[in-house]
Amino acid sequence: MEAIRPPSFPAANRDIIRVLFKPSALYLASLGLSISLVGVLGMALLIQTWWGMGMAGQNNASFWGTYIVTFVFWVGIGHAGTLISAILFLVRSKWRTGVYRASEAMTVFAVMTAGLFPVLHLGRLWQVYWFFPYPNQRYLWVNFKSPLMWDVFAISTYLTVSTVFFFIGLIPDFAIVRDHNKGLIAKIYNLAAFGWRGTNRQWHHYMAAYGFFAAFAAPLVLSVHSVVSWDFAMAVTAGWHSTIFPPYFVAGAIFSGCAMVITLLLPMSYLFGWKDYVNEWHYDALAKMCLLTSAILTYAYAMEYFIGWYSQNPHEWEIFRWRAVGEYAWAFWLMVFCNCVAPLPWYIPKLRTNPWVLWTIAGLINVGMWMERFNIVVSSTAHSFDPAMWRMYAPTLLEVCILLGSAGWFFMWFLLFAKTMPAVAITEIKEQIEPPLKGSLEAK
Amino acid sequence: MSTAAAAPATTRIKGVYAHFDCFLTGIDRLKKAGVVGWEVAAPLPRHEILDIVYEGRPSPVRWWTLVGSLTGLTGGFLLPALTAAQWPMINPGGKPVVSLPAYAIIMFECTILLGALFTGVGMVVHAGLPGFFVDKALQDPRFTDDKFGIVFTRANPSDQQRITQILSETGAIEVTTGDDTVYEVPNA
Repeated sequence: MEAIRPPSFPAANRDIIRVLFKPSALYLASLGLSISLVGVLGMALLIQTWWGMGMAGQNNASFWGTYIVTFVFWVGIGHAGTLISAILFLVRSKWRTGVYRASEAMTVFAVMTAGLFPVLHLGRLWQVYWFFPYPNQRYLWVNFKSPLMWDVFAISTYLTVSTVFFFIGLIPDFAIVRDHNKGLIAKIYNLAAFGWRGTNRQWHHYMAAYGFFAAFAAPLVLSVHSVVSWDFAMAVTAGWHSTIFPPYFVAGAIFSGCAMVITLLLPMSYLFGWKDYVNEWHYDALAKMCLLTSAILTYAYAMEYFIGWYSQNPHEWEIFRWRAVGEYAWAFWLMVFCNCVAPLPWYIPKLRTNPWVLWTIAGLINVGMWMERFNIVVSSTAHSFDPAMWRMYAPTLLEVCILLGSAGWFFMWFLLFAKTMPAVAITEIKEQIEPPLKGSLEAK
Repeated sequence: MSTAAAAPATTRIKGVYAHFDCFLTGIDRLKKAGVVGWEVAAPLPRHEILDIVYEGRPSPVRWWTLVGSLTGLTGGFLLPALTAAQWPMINPGGKPVVSLPAYAIIMFECTILLGALFTGVGMVVHAGLPGFFVDKALQDPRFTDDKFGIVFTRANPSDQQRITQILSETGAIEVTTGDDTVYEVPNA
């Protein structure tokens, strides 16, 4: 396996910029499909807002349902980007260079998608501002001791910092796009690049700031899904009230995020002919990350059962027993298959570089991680302490439309990104190329 | 009769390098010759350039980061604590009115948020961004491609010969002065 292998600085510029602004028929069809799904999302939202939350399948027991399952799913997807861009930057991992820009974009769009769901779940959309702390006319404030309020802070901070980090990284590359274009396009990219010229003054402060951004983003990766897990773990509900949740959720988020990076980048790198920039080296590394986090998840699933049995808490044991043999057993075993069994072929090195195997397993992981959140969110609420309150939950057609629409929303942004911004970080690629030398160095 | 002394005339000088080692030698020779008032431009951030130019001096952006982080930490405690103190009779979960463990999450998030935002502002301020009005000699598309440049935007004409000599001797592929420093894109 070879690392990044572009021949020269101009080749790196040319190869990555040439795919911008020229949509193929396949691209336009994909974008059209995504926008249509966003239309479906809009219609479903309109129907739910007009007719009320009864249009969705939630009931008094299963009060979160698909909306919160999908919220946690998309927040999880958003983890790999910042992990790859920030943590791997701090440890100077070279394989991040080819994949981090697309992963960061994926993070920003996934968190934007996740952010839709608490609002969708509100029903009364016009009261969304109740999420945020502000001194209203009644001097009432939000409850800062609630994990749900921690989540508002965590997700907003994560979205803001990830977006700023993403655009800061893009500044020198926007300048490259500007200098390869003329007229209005050059003017637009000059604005986006803040008039960047690559002077010593600009690089000096830019590099300092970039390091600080990475240092800030790294703990965020670990904290955001920990905070999301406390939405569950702080409750006394059986199956949720567990100290294992934060590391378990973070590992699951990185697992699903890396699988989504493979899902998105594999076809993209082949269609764009970017074999010199994103290749088997990167997919091998991503598959190894998935293997590690899959092992952590498998351990966490097993530990949940062990503690359920060892604690001798009948409610705790009952929920875990029911998950495996009750009405939602299909979801449980699908989760186990996709997250614990399906990645195992990747222990064979050759299968970590085979595009069909990579894409199939990554797709299964995406399904498995949605199922994991379904297991956690739905089964514990549908089968809680009081048998009189047991209620089964199934998503309605409206919720399915909103779920598909959220995927359309995510892919629409990603497709727009792929044709308007350099999806591989050109400047960082250049850092991995030996600069042109004459062999006359006097300076020390 | 004019009361103000006439400003000394200045000129632009630009050296363009195709080779990184020649470029570094050029910067080094200019520093050793005691010539000041230049800027360099490069398509990538090589530490060798910053080491020669800044001699290890750190960027002041770090102070913005520190101030932002401390502001966030303080604000992240004061916002929940003061709002809770305003309504002490509302005591969810029987926790103390000002509950440090519960507020630690808010403090952490605000530290990160304001630290990052202040860092961004600090970078913009110190890097001179937006740079829409930088000298035309620096607006050279070759500096985002594969060339390196040393640019004097206000050189003293009396130093012109010495500077151009250093640039040429160190391997600049193009040395221009005055209006010739403005790069015209071929076939534009």
